[in-house]
Amino acid sequence: MSQHGGTIAIPQEARAPAARGRRGAIDSRLAALLLFLPPALMLFTLFVVLPIGEAAWYSGFNWNGFGKPTRWIGLDNYRFVFDSRGFGTAFKNNLLIIVVSLTIQLPLALALALILAERFRGSVALRMLFFLPYVLAEIATGLIFSFIYDGNYGLLASIYRAFGAEAPHLLASTQTSMLAILIVVVWKYFGFHMMLFIAALQGMDRNLVEAARIDGASRWQVLRYVVIPLLYPTIKLSIFFAVVGSLQLFDLVMPLTRGGPADSSNTMVSFLYNHGVSRMRVGYGSAIGVILFVICVTFAFTYKRWFMRNE
Amino acid sequence: MGYLRTLALGAAGLLLAAGSATAQTTVKWLHIEQNPTQVKIWEEVARKFEAQNTGVKVEMQFLENEAYKAKLPTILQSRDRPHILYSWAGGVLKAQIEADVLEDMTAGVGAYKDNLSAGAVAAFTVGGKLYGLPYNVSQVGFMYNKDLFAKAGVDGSKVKSWDDLLDAVKKLKAAGVTPIAVGGGDKWPLHFYWTHLAVRLGGKPAFEAALKGQDGGFEGEVFQKSGELMKQLVDLEPFQTGFLGFKNQQALGFFGDGKAAMNLAISHHSATQRALAADKKGIAEDKLGWIDFPMPAGGKGQLTDTLGGVNGWLVTKGAPKEAVAFLKFFVSDEVQRALAAQNFIIPTFKGSEAALSAAFMQNVAKNIAASNYHQNFYDQDLGPSVGRVVNDAVAEIAGGSMTPKQAAKAIQDAFKQGN
Amino acid sequence: MSDALAPRRPLDLMPLYKAVFLGVVALLVIVPLLATVLGGFKSLGELRTNPFGLPETWEWENYTGILFSQRYWQLLWNSLVIATLTVVLTLIVASMAAFVFAHIHFFGSSMLLSYLTMGLLFPAATAILPLFIKVRDLGLLDSYLGVALPQVAFSLAMSILLLRRFFKDLPHELLEAALVDGCSYIDFFRHVTLPLSRPILATVGTITFVHSWNSYLLPLVMLNSDSMYPWPLGIMIYQGEFSAEWHLILAFITLTILPTFLLFILAQKHIVAGLTAGAVKG
Repeated sequence: MSQHGGTIAIPQEARAPAARGRRGAIDSRLAALLLFLPPALMLFTLFVVLPIGEAAWYSGFNWNGFGKPTRWIGLDNYRFVFDSRGFGTAFKNNLLIIVVSLTIQLPLALALALILAERFRGSVALRMLFFLPYVLAEIATGLIFSFIYDGNYGLLASIYRAFGAEAPHLLASTQTSMLAILIVVVWKYFGFHMMLFIAALQGMDRNLVEAARIDGASRWQVLRYVVIPLLYPTIKLSIFFAVVGSLQLFDLVMPLTRGGPADSSNTMVSFLYNHGVSRMRVGYGSAIGVILFVICVTFAFTYKRWFMRNE
Repeated sequence: MGYLRTLALGAAGLLLAAGSATAQTTVKWLHIEQNPTQVKIWEEVARKFEAQNTGVKVEMQFLENEAYKAKLPTILQSRDRPHILYSWAGGVLKAQIEADVLEDMTAGVGAYKDNLSAGAVAAFTVGGKLYGLPYNVSQVGFMYNKDLFAKAGVDGSKVKSWDDLLDAVKKLKAAGVTPIAVGGGDKWPLHFYWTHLAVRLGGKPAFEAALKGQDGGFEGEVFQKSGELMKQLVDLEPFQTGFLGFKNQQALGFFGDGKAAMNLAISHHSATQRALAADKKGIAEDKLGWIDFPMPAGGKGQLTDTLGGVNGWLVTKGAPKEAVAFLKFFVSDEVQRALAAQNFIIPTFKGSEAALSAAFMQNVAKNIAASNYHQNFYDQDLGPSVGRVVNDAVAEIAGGSMTPKQAAKAIQDAFKQGN
Repeated sequence: MSDALAPRRPLDLMPLYKAVFLGVVALLVIVPLLATVLGGFKSLGELRTNPFGLPETWEWENYTGILFSQRYWQLLWNSLVIATLTVVLTLIVASMAAFVFAHIHFFGSSMLLSYLTMGLLFPAATAILPLFIKVRDLGLLDSYLGVALPQVAFSLAMSILLLRRFFKDLPHELLEAALVDGCSYIDFFRHVTLPLSRPILATVGTITFVHSWNSYLLPLVMLNSDSMYPWPLGIMIYQGEFSAEWHLILAFITLTILPTFLLFILAQKHIVAGLTAGAVKG
């Protein structure tokens, strides 16, 4: 198949195929359309769209998953969800994760990116090192930290023992379980945000920075008035990912605390799993799913409208 | 591109291979037993059965206790589900029967069931039909470390009332010994305290009334008092540090290591603690004592009432008939005696309990035989969803995040909602 | 350069602060990982007394016990099969659809594209219960496809967007010329677009592979027999079984993250580009 895209005089014989080709082109378009599009649409509709619709439907029933749903209870499941203390805690925890991501993780990532965006000995190695936690599976990270936090054998315990104190069982107390999880969240994801910022910094127009420097601006002033404003798009993107990621958090919670003790460290997804899936309360779990869906979609739409103008 | 295609074909081929049928009958047996010595005996039984029944293979699969309870609902929905399942009977069994996932084995077992204790068989009979074969009964009570008690100057045989227990806890703490090890992370070890108090305070009448919704149901006086008494204990801080993060096996290991004086355990956990201790030896027979759950002042329950379990094996729908045959083989005099001799179970086969070697296990067997009211664990008896709420609520009392009143209300609310 | 213009300061501590900062962060990242790897070489008692240092005696049996167990390789194999299925299906289905969206304008094409992009808005977890019911009703519970197909479906949105962008960026004259030569769209796709798209296919493939390899919730709900478990499920079961025997658990963790780690070393550029490109383009 010739790939030359240049201008070549099209001989007479080729024109005829071109005329025939137009109809042929429409036929081939149709063929491509009918062959290429349906698989994606079918898979997507079957496994993504329909389930959400079904979640809305199932949420009106009290059903344990066997046979067909028969006990219609209307909006009662939603009432149960909103009344339950566990869900309120889970929602608050999700908000907490978002806040921590924005106030601690983001600045940390930014600071590291500013330092590591320059090329110097070991900068690439350090970048890779900081990105590594992001690549590891959440489940493995959770297990590693459940070891570190272990009151008897953990690293934390050893440090305390070295000072002659008894280690706190972080994961076993309702007060500190969430703190423990937040630390792991920051540990795991700061590298990702750092890489985003590095990419943005490296693509940034150096002239603006130089110009400011030449004008006598100090390092901090350059940072505050030139660099960060230029990074706004990336910062917004980073926030978007932090929020979306937090709403989905599950794999980290399970190995660390399973949402406990006493539902204190649940996220909405782990709450869904513990109270919906594990107990096979399909209606109840679906209601939680629908609520989560509404939250995600609302956030995505409002965020895109207010802050971003991408697609 | 070419190799992508090959990969896809290879993957497809794999799927076909995985799905191909095997010539012999496989009986899939899912269990939760941690103790390797006991598992080994079971394996020998399985091999013996295979030898006597050519063409049959018995495949054992293990899931840890909590993981088992959490996954069971989804496991039961799968086509590929195990044929033999572990069960605590109660409301969970009833829910499973209603969901039509269990095999009615009345015919398959026939008159064989007359060899087993009537009470145990009754636990697995619903609507006149037999759904499971019981193999073990158990009682909940305090197992204690005689040496540690002696160190604190506590006489285990004198702990009879609830106040005696609180006293003992105070004395142990004064002697620098952790009074009680508990697996708070799993929650159900904590619910023993609350439920046993309820059994002591109200006995059978209170429970049956609550089931009918009388006297305020589970919000009633008996159950609120249970929470309050439990809170008395919790306020003394008798548990090991970080108890809310300990799984039951870890707590048993802690006890087996001699780090705590007591553990409110299911009787056969006396054997489990041995396997889970760091030195794999745990607390020896002669150093292990047993205290029946104490009676609080004003308790209307009988001293002979017991809280405990009846454990058995269920067969899922569509299982090969060899599954029931294997169960009959497993719950037989010979096997029961072998297990009892090592104090792994309190047998259900009539007469096998003579093989029990440990004094306190024999004691427990007598207790259960004498009991008129053997209450099954609430978290199993009340059904899958309500049961878990009981666990959640009691764990919150222990953690201090719920008052006894709130806990009782939460349970009553869940009970009204149903499963 | 700028220092020459700055007023004389006794010592510029900035590089020092930076170095300390980097050092602290690096330490916080390395220590947990190193402790995990080394912990697998220690005995349980030693974990308590000597947590940070090198093991006094290197207990190889912790690692060899796992490496020689059938269970470990079965877990990895299951993960590999599921991830490969997911990647292959995603690449095929997404590239076909992306091609259509890139080159063929038809009534409703932008609506359909928005429809597909909806998939970016919410995670699989929201509809996990109905998804479970559906997979069960299709008879796919406890099968590789039962996990792979939903994974493919949920990764379609991102993949199609990335691929479509790339396809659109290819020179348009290629398509025009090919059409003039009488080439069909399908042939163009097979013979021109795909070969030219190796980089983006590698990127999408990498993102999909990593997500599938690490995924936990979906296999947890869809798979019930332990012979099918991918490694995330397997490691949780292992931890449930050996709850306090940390030396074994740490060895197991190390061995299960080893493939990811190796992959990362070998293909870092790809992985970084993939995972961040997914972010930026989305």
